[in-house]
Amino acid sequence: MIETVKLSKTFKGKKAVDEIDLYIDEGESIGLLGPNGAGKSTTISMISSLLKPTAGDVKLNGKSTIKNPAEIRRILGVVPQEIALYEELSAYENLKFFGEIYNVKKTILEQRIQEILEMVGLKKPQKELVKTFSGGMKRRVNIAAALLHDPKILILDEPTVGIDPQSRNHILETVRKLNEENGTTVLYTSHYMEEVEQLCKRVYIMDHGKVVASGSKEELLSILSTEDMIQVTLSEMSDTVVEKVKSIKNIRRVDATDKSLRIISKKGSSILSDLIHAVESEGILLTNFQMETPSLEDVFLHITGRTLRD
Amino acid sequence: MFSFIKKDLLVFWRDRKEVLISLLAPILILVVLHVAFSGISVKDAGEMDLRVGLILEDDKATGLKQFEEALLEMDLREIEIDAMMEQAETLSPIGIMVKLFEDPELSSWIHTIEMNEEEAQKQIENGELDAIIKIPEGFTYDVLGKVMLDEPVETPIRFQIEEHSLETDILAGVIDNYMEALNFQFALSAVTGGEEGSEPALPQGGREVIKENAVEIELAQYYTIGMSSLFALFIAATVAAKTVTEKRERVFNRILLTNSRPFSYLMGKVISTFCMAWIQLMLVFVVTDLMLGIFPEKSTEFWLGIIVIVTFFSLSISGLSAIFTSLTIRMHNINTANGLFTMVVMGFAALGGNFFSLEQFPEWVQALSQWTPTGVVIDLFTEFSQNGNAISFAVPLMKQFGFFIGFLVIGILLFPERGKS
Repeated sequence: MIETVKLSKTFKGKKAVDEIDLYIDEGESIGLLGPNGAGKSTTISMISSLLKPTAGDVKLNGKSTIKNPAEIRRILGVVPQEIALYEELSAYENLKFFGEIYNVKKTILEQRIQEILEMVGLKKPQKELVKTFSGGMKRRVNIAAALLHDPKILILDEPTVGIDPQSRNHILETVRKLNEENGTTVLYTSHYMEEVEQLCKRVYIMDHGKVVASGSKEELLSILSTEDMIQVTLSEMSDTVVEKVKSIKNIRRVDATDKSLRIISKKGSSILSDLIHAVESEGILLTNFQMETPSLEDVFLHITGRTLRD
Repeated sequence: MFSFIKKDLLVFWRDRKEVLISLLAPILILVVLHVAFSGISVKDAGEMDLRVGLILEDDKATGLKQFEEALLEMDLREIEIDAMMEQAETLSPIGIMVKLFEDPELSSWIHTIEMNEEEAQKQIENGELDAIIKIPEGFTYDVLGKVMLDEPVETPIRFQIEEHSLETDILAGVIDNYMEALNFQFALSAVTGGEEGSEPALPQGGREVIKENAVEIELAQYYTIGMSSLFALFIAATVAAKTVTEKRERVFNRILLTNSRPFSYLMGKVISTFCMAWIQLMLVFVVTDLMLGIFPEKSTEFWLGIIVIVTFFSLSISGLSAIFTSLTIRMHNINTANGLFTMVVMGFAALGGNFFSLEQFPEWVQALSQWTPTGVVIDLFTEFSQNGNAISFAVPLMKQFGFFIGFLVIGILLFPERGKS
C-alpha cells in the first residue's frame, strides 16, 4: 500500500532521515520505535506529504506521491504530536471545521462527528472549548479530527505524550479498534515500547535517522535469543563492583542504575557463583537476583547501546 | 472558503482580550485625546496672553485709487467703472482685520500694537512680541483685483511667529477666520451688487505663514480618522498573528493535509479582516460621535459617505492581511515577522498622516502619501468632512480597490509552496 524508497531528509547539512526503506500493507498495524530525535516525526512528515524529501520516494500503491500529494492526503489521517486544534473553539466546532475543509458531505458530517466523539469518549463535553480540556481530552480530540474523512491509513505521532493513564488506555483502545474492527491501516510512532508491543504486529526501530532493525515482535526478540537477561539488586553500588562484574567470563554487557545491575550474558552460562563472589569481595550484599524475559526495549538497548528514553 | 471565514471570525471573537483591544482601545484613546484637547483650550484660555505687532503698510484710499486706475486702463464703460468703484468702496480688508482684534473676547488675550516693521522685527527678536502680522502695501488693491477682476494675489498678509505654541496656533486660526470673513463680505457684496449666481473667488494665498503648522480641520475629527485607521491597520497584523499560532500548533499542517487551496485559506483571513476592520471603524465613528459629538449635525448622506469610505478602506486592510499572512507562514522568525508588520503599519500611518497633518511637508511626501491606503482615506475623509457630497469619491475609492487587488495578488504570490512553510 505505502512504501518508502531510500527516503532521506537533510536539514542544514545534517541527515535527519537516512535512506529509509519501509512498507505498510493494507490493514496492517506498524510501529515506528525510536528515541527522541531518531527521525520518526520527519519520516512521518515526508510520508504524509508535509515535507519534501531531500532524496528517495514515497509510493502509494506503486505510484510516487511526491509530485502529486493530493491522492495520499485524501486517504490519510494524521494525528500530529502537537495538539493541532483551535483552543478557542469547542471540540464540536473544531471537528465541524476540519470536516468541512475535508469536504465531508454536509448530510453525513453531523452523524460522523457524533460517531467519532462517541468513539473517543467526548460526546458529553463536545460543546466545551478545547482550552478548558485536560491534556488527555485534547489528545482525544486531536485524534478525532484526523478521523472525520474516514481515512484508510492513520498515522499517529506519539499520541499519548504527557497524558493520564486513563486517557492513554482510551487512546490505545481506540487505535486498536480502528485497526482490528474497521480495518484501518495504522502507522504508530512512539518511544513507549509497551504501546508499540501492544498495538503493532510489525515494528521498525529507528535511531539516528536510520532503521536499525525491523520485523515482527518475535523476530526482533529473537535477536536476543542467544542471551540471558539478569536483573540483580545490590545493598549498595560502586564503580569497582561494576568493573568486577563486567570482567566475569560470559558476561557481555552490564548497565548500572541506582542499586541495580542489568546483565546480559551468554545463554545457559552459569555466572551466579562468580557474580556473588565479585559482589561480596567488595563488601556488598546481593539482595535480589532475577532472570528476565527480553522486551523490545532490551532489543533496542542491545542494538543502539542506549535506552528509548535517552 | 466560508468555513475558513467562519472559523477565523469565531477564533477572533473568542479571544476577548484581542476584541477589547481592537474595538475599545481606539475609542479610549480618542476620548483621552478629546478630553486633553478640550482641557487645554478651556483651562488655558484665561491665562493666554499674546503680544502681536501689527504692521499696517497698506492704505485704503491709495488702494482704491490704484484700483480705479486699473479699471480705467481696461476697456470698460464709464457706468461699469462707477458701479465697480461703488462696490469696492464698501469693502475694507484692513477695517475687518482691525475690527477683528478689537473684539472684546480676542482683545482680552491678543494684544495688538501697531508699529513699523523695523521696530516689530526688533521686538520679536528680543522676545517682546510673540508674532507679527503685516498687511503689506498694495494689499487692498490686490484683494480687490483678485475678487473683482480675478487677478492673482501678489501681496499676501505676512504672519510671522517667533516660537510655535498653542497660542500661535490659535492666532493662525483667527487669521484664517479673518480671511473667511473677508471672503464672506466679498460674497455678500457680489450678491447684493447684482451679480447673483457668480461664485465669489477666494483670495487664495492671502495669508503667508512663516514657521507655522496650520490646523485645517477640527483636531477631534482629524484624530478620529487618524487613530481609527491606524488601529484598523493593526487588525491585518493581528489576523496574521493568529497564523503564527496556527503554524506553531501545527493546525496549519492539518489544514494543508485536507487538500484545501491556499486561496481559500487566504480568503478566510482576508474576509475576516475586512469584517473586523469594518466593524471596528464604524464602531469608533458611531461611539465617538455619540459620546463626544465629533460629527455634530451630520446628515444621513454624511453617514452613508462614511460607510462607503470605511468599506473601501477595510478592503485595503484586508488585502494587506493576505500579505502579512503569507509572510508569517514563510518567515521562520515570528518576532522578525511581527517587527516587520509593525514597521509597515507605522510607515503607512506616518506617511498617511495618521499622527500629524502632512501639509507642511515637502510636496513629494504629500504625493507619496496619496499612494498609501491611510493617506487616501484621511485625505478623502478630510475633504468629505469639509465639502460634503460635492467631492468626487471615484478616484480615491478606485485607489483603495486597487490597493486591495494589489495586496491580494502579492499575498497569493508570497504564499509558500508545499514543504517550504
